[in-house]
Amino acid sequence: MTPTLTGTKKVVTGNHAVSYGAMLARVQVISAYPITPQTQIVELLSEMCANGTLRAKFIKVESEHSAMAALVGAASAGARTFTATSAHGLALMHEMLHWAAGARLPIVMANVNRAMGPPWSVWTDQNDSLSQRDVGWMQVYCESNQEVLDTVIQAYKVAETVLMPAMLVLDAFVLSHTAEQIEIPDQALVDRYLPPYQPVYKLDVSDPRSFGALAPPDLYMELRYKMHKAMEDALTEWARADEEYYELFGRRYGLIEPYRADDADLILVTSGTVTSTARDVIDELRAAGRRVGLLKIRVFRPFPAQLVREALANAQKVAVIDRNISFGMGGIFAQEIKSALYNAPDRPLIFGFVAGLGGRDITPTVIREIIEYTESRDEPEDLIWVGVKR
Amino acid sequence: MKKPIVFTSEHEMPPMAVSLADMGHNRTGSWRYLRPVYSEKLAPCKNACPVGNDIPRILSLVSQGRYEDAWRLFRETSPLPGVCGRVCYHPCESFCNRKDFDEALSIAAIERFVADACFDLEDRIPERPKRSEKIAIVGSGPAGLACAYFLAKDGYAVTVFEGASQPGGMLRLGIPPYRLPRAVLDREIELIARWGVEFRTNTRVGQDISLEKLWEQHNAVFIATGAHQSRALNIPGEEFALTGLEFLKAVNAGKTIALGKRVLIIGGGNTAMDCARTALRLGAHPIVVYRRTREEMPAIAEEIEEAEHEGTQFEFLAAPVAIRKLNGKLEVQCIRMKLGEPDASGRRRPVPIPSSDFIMYTDTVLKAVGEEPDLAFLSEHLETSEGIVIERAQGMLERAGIFIGGDAQTGPSTVAQAMRSGKEVAQKIKSFLRGERPPKATTLEEAVRVNFNYFTHRPRVATPQLAVSERILSFAETKRAISAEQARVEASRCFSCGVCNSCDNCWVFCPDAAIARINGHYEINYDFCKGCGVCAEECPRSVISLVEEEL
Repeated sequence: MTPTLTGTKKVVTGNHAVSYGAMLARVQVISAYPITPQTQIVELLSEMCANGTLRAKFIKVESEHSAMAALVGAASAGARTFTATSAHGLALMHEMLHWAAGARLPIVMANVNRAMGPPWSVWTDQNDSLSQRDVGWMQVYCESNQEVLDTVIQAYKVAETVLMPAMLVLDAFVLSHTAEQIEIPDQALVDRYLPPYQPVYKLDVSDPRSFGALAPPDLYMELRYKMHKAMEDALTEWARADEEYYELFGRRYGLIEPYRADDADLILVTSGTVTSTARDVIDELRAAGRRVGLLKIRVFRPFPAQLVREALANAQKVAVIDRNISFGMGGIFAQEIKSALYNAPDRPLIFGFVAGLGGRDITPTVIREIIEYTESRDEPEDLIWVGVKR
Repeated sequence: MKKPIVFTSEHEMPPMAVSLADMGHNRTGSWRYLRPVYSEKLAPCKNACPVGNDIPRILSLVSQGRYEDAWRLFRETSPLPGVCGRVCYHPCESFCNRKDFDEALSIAAIERFVADACFDLEDRIPERPKRSEKIAIVGSGPAGLACAYFLAKDGYAVTVFEGASQPGGMLRLGIPPYRLPRAVLDREIELIARWGVEFRTNTRVGQDISLEKLWEQHNAVFIATGAHQSRALNIPGEEFALTGLEFLKAVNAGKTIALGKRVLIIGGGNTAMDCARTALRLGAHPIVVYRRTREEMPAIAEEIEEAEHEGTQFEFLAAPVAIRKLNGKLEVQCIRMKLGEPDASGRRRPVPIPSSDFIMYTDTVLKAVGEEPDLAFLSEHLETSEGIVIERAQGMLERAGIFIGGDAQTGPSTVAQAMRSGKEVAQKIKSFLRGERPPKATTLEEAVRVNFNYFTHRPRVATPQLAVSERILSFAETKRAISAEQARVEASRCFSCGVCNSCDNCWVFCPDAAIARINGHYEINYDFCKGCGVCAEECPRSVISLVEEEL
């Protein structure tokens, strides 16, 4: 088959976009446990395995911990592996997330952002994935169904290069259950972009090695240093993977995406689907002559600190919208951005907004209020709760 | 162990904690304190089978469509698969582990299918040294036939003495042909004869030839004369009642019996059920009179159900107290019973209710209240208790080379139990002739643990039956054979408890890759087996045992 630049157009939900991404990446082992709102991702993949569309081993397990454990085994044996989960499922995986990263296994996972209980909730916020900030997984927050599919494929490219696992994140329902038209790339082209995984070290009974053995204090730190180095390398690799993807498929997303931010006095920082709403608000305010811009953070781990510094260098004020809360401190993206800017020579004033927890809509009105609040204050504030009935 | 690699900088280190050299030198088996071993267990079906048929292996062969191999494996342990597949009360199925999962395997139906499918096959009789010792077997029922077969296989000269005109004992005389077609019985007896067994029919020991004479002319004698003596009712007018067993023998021998329309059958055992179903086929209306309730009936439940299905009526909690003849009809005076305290058999004792007498009118009364052995021809030699030879007397006889078994020893039991007894006696005779002690039976641990997670629910095959309307018109066999496809599918439901069927689970699950697959069996490399026990846990059929290492 001759590769073509255009694939098939299809109207799919964000969840099914993930499934198609995994299918095109030719994953070999899938292990998952169902949880709302992730279920349809693995439902479609299990169908693909059953009807032969995807030649992969689908392992049914009794928990997310086991799902990740199964993938640790499969990836150690050299397989390209995939899973998907959400909220409590991700929390249950926690121990194995450390293992996957420490063992340097390029596992790719989709996490559908869902608020943690109690109180019980199935709607979106980012506390589930951000609670796993320090486990050594790359995290990429997606804005559209197309980006979701493309990110699955890019994630394997980067993960298998730097040997760190990757998690792509999509908002519950806003993306997971909402259908939009996307392009399903041509398989031959994806194969060209993403050749089969060639592990350097793998479980092999004919060449028995010790894996995951005890490391004494004089070796442990070096291995941790190498993980951090790999994360730093991943910044370059994400940029490279994104460019190569653009050359073949005509789409790229960047690690961050500044929007009308060059000459902006005030820059709004967002992640996930809020970005699309914010883009409209920015256009509207720009049309009214206001010097406002937008910065979308796509790759959260590794954190593109230098890129963020550059993007925000000329702004007077920065308003960060966090759909998450670190209790006792504030929004997590705001903390990361403050941390990235602290050693910069010129620092904007940073306003941290927490909004949209548990799936509460962040509407254009909410975003306008956030911008107006920021414009009207001269002193920065660490934590502003948006819309809390008090 | 190779020289350790010393890292001086992170550049020299691999990305993760992986050894750069082969770890084969690290014999992790030294950590083990539990050793997994492949040790086959005794499947509960096989354990329950009186003749010890190797049911899991037989079913495995059937599931592969290897019917001839299955038949030959049956014949290793039993000369009568065609008979047993029809008349055995199949304790194997009662103990089948699958009954706790969905439904027990239909083992009897498969046995019958295999026997039918291989009806024309012959045993492969090897050249074997002829032995000079001669053995006389008195009686050609299931005990005598089994004993004769296993002795003849070993080259002994066996003569079977049978009082009737054809061999088979109760199989021929007592069991009606709608349960056991005579062609099946004839064929299996014929195959026993092929091994060199001589059948001398119309020769009743104690009448046509004396036991003493047999004993003089043979090196050993096996008395397997069964239990043919019907118990008495001990009521006035008993002379008007026919004996159920005699009735069956007459019908089975092709004689015409005038029953009349209404037939009362006294008793609740298998003979009573056979009488009722036979009477039905002769156009009569049978009524079974039993002094306890259905629950206490000694007949096999399936037989009771069949009898009822076909139209037998039951009169429970009633016992005859007198029979009178009136104008060519019979008048049976009965008394109503109630259940009292349990008796020695554990069943509740029937107690008469005073002044509850009632009359039942009938044309014929058949008494079927049990049989006992008739050992008059040897009574001067031994002591009996209620017709059963007592152990001391038996020991004395055995030292003289006279063995007793089957129903003649135990009182009425089942075909399979009689065969077991015949087999055991064959072994005893061999030991006796060689002047050895009988070998100790080696018993394996029973396989009781099945990992149900590896199985999916599948229904048990239904045995096709003739419609009742057709059944009662003739003595045609009521049960039909299952098809080859049904047999294969049914056999594939077998868990193969305790018997390795190369399912690969141990090989797949061993986390140390210490199990190798070699020509369909498995070997454990104990240099690397850490004794984690996963293989034993994941073996669906408890073939793998964990034994403590000796320290």
